Amino acid sequence: MSYRVGIDIGGTFTDFALLSENDGRLYIHKQLTTPGDPARSVLTGVPRLLDRAAIAPSEVSAVVHGTTLVTNAVIERRGAKTAMLVTEGFGDVLDIARERRYDMYDLTITYPAPLVPRGLRYEIKERIGPDGTVLVALSEGAINEALTDLVGRGIGAVAVCFLNSPVNPIHEQTVARIAAEKFPQLFVSTSTEVFPFLREYERWTTATMNAYTGPLFDQYLRRLEDGLREAGLIGDLFIMSSSGGTVAPDVARRFPVRMLESGPAAGVLQTAALGRQLKRPNLLSFDMGGTTAKGALVRNDLPLKRYEMEVARVHEFRAGSGLPARIPVIDLIEIGSGGGSIAAVDARGTIAVGPHSAGAVPGPACYGQGGEDPTLTDANLTLGYLDAAFFLGGEMSLDAAAAARAIDSKLGTPLGIETLRAAWGVHESVNEDIARAFRNHASERGFDYRACAMVAFGGSGPAHACRVARKLRVPTVIFPVGAGVMSAVGLLASPLSFETFHAERLDLDALDQDGFARRFAALIDEAIAFLGRKPEPDETTVIRRRIDMRYRGQGYEVEVDLPDGAALSDLRDLFTTAYERIFTKSFPGEALEITNWKAEVSLVRSTADATYHLEVPPGKDRIKGHRPAFFPEHGTLRTAPVYDRYALSTGDTFDGPALVEEKESTCVIGVGDRVTVDDAGNIIVSVAGGAS
Amino acid sequence: MKQIDAVDLGIMWDRLIAITDEILLSIVRTAFSVGVREAWDLACVVFDAQGRSIAQATLSMPAFIGTAPLTMQHMLKKFPAHTWQDGDVVVTNDPWLGTGHTPDICIARPAFKNGTLVGFVMNISHLPDIGGVGLSVMNTEVYQEGLMLPVCKLYEAGEPVQYLHDLIAGNVRTPEQVFGDIMADISGCMVGERLIGEFMDEYGLGDLAALADSIIGQSEAAIRKEISAIPDGVYRNEIEVETVTDAVTLTCAVTVNGDSVDIDFAGTGPTAAYAINVPLCYTRAWATYTIKTLTTPTIPNNVGALLPVAVTAPSGCILNAQRPAPTGGRHSIGWFIVPLIMGALAEVMPDRVQADSGMASLFICHTSPSGGEAGSTQYFLAGGVGGMNGLDGQHTTPSPTNNAVVASEVWENETGVRINYRRLLPDSGGPGAFRGGLGQIASMTNTREDTVAIFMFGMRTEFPARGSLGGKPGSTRVFEVDGKPVPPKGRLELKPGETFTIAEAGGGGYGDPMRRNPARVLDDVRNGAVTVAGAARDYGVTVDLDQGTATRV
Repeated sequence: MSYRVGIDIGGTFTDFALLSENDGRLYIHKQLTTPGDPARSVLTGVPRLLDRAAIAPSEVSAVVHGTTLVTNAVIERRGAKTAMLVTEGFGDVLDIARERRYDMYDLTITYPAPLVPRGLRYEIKERIGPDGTVLVALSEGAINEALTDLVGRGIGAVAVCFLNSPVNPIHEQTVARIAAEKFPQLFVSTSTEVFPFLREYERWTTATMNAYTGPLFDQYLRRLEDGLREAGLIGDLFIMSSSGGTVAPDVARRFPVRMLESGPAAGVLQTAALGRQLKRPNLLSFDMGGTTAKGALVRNDLPLKRYEMEVARVHEFRAGSGLPARIPVIDLIEIGSGGGSIAAVDARGTIAVGPHSAGAVPGPACYGQGGEDPTLTDANLTLGYLDAAFFLGGEMSLDAAAAARAIDSKLGTPLGIETLRAAWGVHESVNEDIARAFRNHASERGFDYRACAMVAFGGSGPAHACRVARKLRVPTVIFPVGAGVMSAVGLLASPLSFETFHAERLDLDALDQDGFARRFAALIDEAIAFLGRKPEPDETTVIRRRIDMRYRGQGYEVEVDLPDGAALSDLRDLFTTAYERIFTKSFPGEALEITNWKAEVSLVRSTADATYHLEVPPGKDRIKGHRPAFFPEHGTLRTAPVYDRYALSTGDTFDGPALVEEKESTCVIGVGDRVTVDDAGNIIVSVAGGAS
Repeated sequence: MKQIDAVDLGIMWDRLIAITDEILLSIVRTAFSVGVREAWDLACVVFDAQGRSIAQATLSMPAFIGTAPLTMQHMLKKFPAHTWQDGDVVVTNDPWLGTGHTPDICIARPAFKNGTLVGFVMNISHLPDIGGVGLSVMNTEVYQEGLMLPVCKLYEAGEPVQYLHDLIAGNVRTPEQVFGDIMADISGCMVGERLIGEFMDEYGLGDLAALADSIIGQSEAAIRKEISAIPDGVYRNEIEVETVTDAVTLTCAVTVNGDSVDIDFAGTGPTAAYAINVPLCYTRAWATYTIKTLTTPTIPNNVGALLPVAVTAPSGCILNAQRPAPTGGRHSIGWFIVPLIMGALAEVMPDRVQADSGMASLFICHTSPSGGEAGSTQYFLAGGVGGMNGLDGQHTTPSPTNNAVVASEVWENETGVRINYRRLLPDSGGPGAFRGGLGQIASMTNTREDTVAIFMFGMRTEFPARGSLGGKPGSTRVFEVDGKPVPPKGRLELKPGETFTIAEAGGGGYGDPMRRNPARVLDDVRNGAVTVAGAARDYGVTVDLDQGTATRV
């Protein structure tokens, strides 16, 4: 027997999934995260999960782990005291930053402080020209001196950031070599090994973030590895990266910055896997938890990717207010609301929800822990979408009166409207926010969402998805099996994978097939080396090559995906197609140039897209009860049937309005929506008013 | 329809904004213009059937908050609302009817629902080219600034007006790109019409009138409420601003009367002989922007925010320039309207205003062919932002507008001009209880084998960013070649081996620097914002870094 375990640590809960690869049985478990020592919730949760499945630790062949530890270390500034060796004359680049306002009306905007304080930036005499020529040689003596000094000051991590290093990394590499020889205890990140693209501020910020989080992440992984081994789990450990692939712990140690957002990435990956099972290549992935919601787009079976993200934003959902990280990452949509988001009357006298969250403490008013601000969860309870007695399967009870009181005092009374109306206002403005986030994201990427299905999961996602889909005219919503722990399930499907990069600006005409093939071969070899092993018999090696190209002299690039076997002679046509998809036209005959080269190698398991079935005690009756719930078509509370998801079976079909409860979430089915249950137990909703 | 309550209003209002955001993003994605793609030099506005603006895309250039509603009125004056047909596209780039200079084209298209006119969608974007000499402050007449389109129809009932297309194509340098961007704007209008229709279906609306009344009424009420909180009175300010060869005075009298504001620029100096003159529409835009930012920064933009604010300026002054004065660089004067008005209101809005900012420099660098092709690259450097009550000004950040920044690595790669260093400039931030943000110093050497031509327009070389309420001014902007000062405006020839240095202006300080907490002065010294000598001179604070102490003497 072969079992895989997925563990996703989130802000509030840690989710576990265990999959039997032979027969597709899936066991899940959820417990509170232990923020002070995140490894503890992992190490206490795994035995419980194994108990539930009645298997021995030694039967687990692999543990795949996603964590927000790296992100949190940056947000909470808990990383190592980090120094920076930087080209002379450029030590202030981290302060000068992007020279850009992220809000044109708010005069009080601020920006996050750099991770390396000014006093720990060592300016080094050296200079590489834009063509890679060494203009000023590096003095090994000066490097020794700087490293000795910073080690003497108790510094444990250092980022090496030299101008034009992507064109010629020799100086950065020299520093890394000296440091490894003389100060092996130092955690050293060079800007080119972390992400070798031009634009010094972004690349250096990424390198400093890598160095800053390196020692902490190393310590965490060591504790995790030791703990798992002590618990008898002798299988391999893999760490989920932001790009949707996993890496071995030693690679994760070296590139902690690639592990930002690893949990949400896994959920999107699972959406894509589900899409492949259901033959739906284009999807919206919608994940809404306690504090935030995240979305993503899946096009032709693959989640859209990008190579930049932001961490530690000062204004939670304002692009440009955080520290940029240049890493391969699933292209996530940040949506400013979760169950704990607080609703208030805004300056114009209407209801606004978020971005502030009540968090776990005091939590929504209905948690009865002293929270007085109305939250989205309070509204959903008031609207009858949640059952006060069956929250988390009855493990937690909710105070409906407290919810109504909070809504009334902070919204209903000031606005002169009834409690129910105010609750609906909270719920619907969140739906509107989510729909807006999807629309904007899709619009920026030229993605037509109207023919797609939406896959909805997370604790709160299923309560909103059908209504959001209706706004987007998306015809179908899918609530997958195990929706409440979808990210943990997604970890199980993720391939071992690594992506490598090379920045080199070249005229297309100046390149021959040999040079083209040689550059990619080098990148692919490098990526394979990072995988650390050969494919197993049940794995297929998948290589994706991408290239950034542009018309010569144009300031912006278009990413071109190279199909298998594509050669240099295909580049012009591939570029033209990609360019036309964005600009609707192209300029035949204009000179082209290449700027960046990327290769991603993945070892995809043959079982990655296999279906699974959830092992839970079956429910008794399909309809387990009725309760009053609000639907806008009725304008008031009206009794609606409550279905037990665990009692539904393949082929079941019924119409909304209805509520479908499972332990971790409730699906709200609107008036006119039609539910069917498919072969694998997924709930498929045909949405009223969706585009045909 | 039934009365609109707070729930419906909030949701429908946000949806209209979402529609404008979606349109705007679709344009940014497809535009060729670097200004549009990198600096978001565009706007999208939705109007109701009467031509009242009710929603504007969140990321629109703020100046357009004031111009678009007027442009729409000019269009409706020429083509009354009932004459618009489905598929009409009306355009103008007339500086006095549009946004103040010719490169910005305003494109409006009606939105019909079941055969009834329900509103208009207008997109404004900075075109890749509009012919003429191009944008240069040395232009002396608007006629040099390219093709000028009066309010006219580019499409009639969906059919292209061919002669107008031919006329534009025959007058611009890159017709394919120019029409690419015009088409992006028009497609954006069409996306808007579809989304408005779907929105009206979802909420069962037959027209947008009642919703528009609520949005405008609520916005107007909110801003009037804030204005009422300002004590009545006439508040004046005057600042001097550099032109190319001399200076011009900008004067304002801000009259607060109950819940309305009247801003008059009488006393402002005359139109200049360079392309920095400001048509009144653009003056009004920054004036209303300032009032809105001071009173209701979070309220979404619509015509309601404009109603309580009246703006006047004598004809022929530089803030109400008349044809044929050239206006290409109208923003370089127009930006000063913001600190001008804030300065006037500082005494009565001490917690809202910001001291003057150092603003930013934009250079256009021309490299001639040397084996390769001729290049034109923009370079941008920001000075410091002014301090405000409770908040030091940001270092090296543009204000009041935004620009596209160029990384040193990209710059060197594209121009062959080497950047020697870029550093924060200590002591450049205006001293104050809350310090102005720092400027920076950048140095570049022409490492090419030929001469590079640099076009520049540097402000604040004579007149620094002033402090507010006892704060001191920031440092001025300085341009040097090989250590010798050069004129900050016009064309500079940088010969091989020569080094060009730019010191960016600091922001003004807020409040008496002697009230600055010595601990913050110590932090400033540690962070390189203030020198030990500067701490003693500007703040009366003796800093001992070794001991980690700071004491006011």
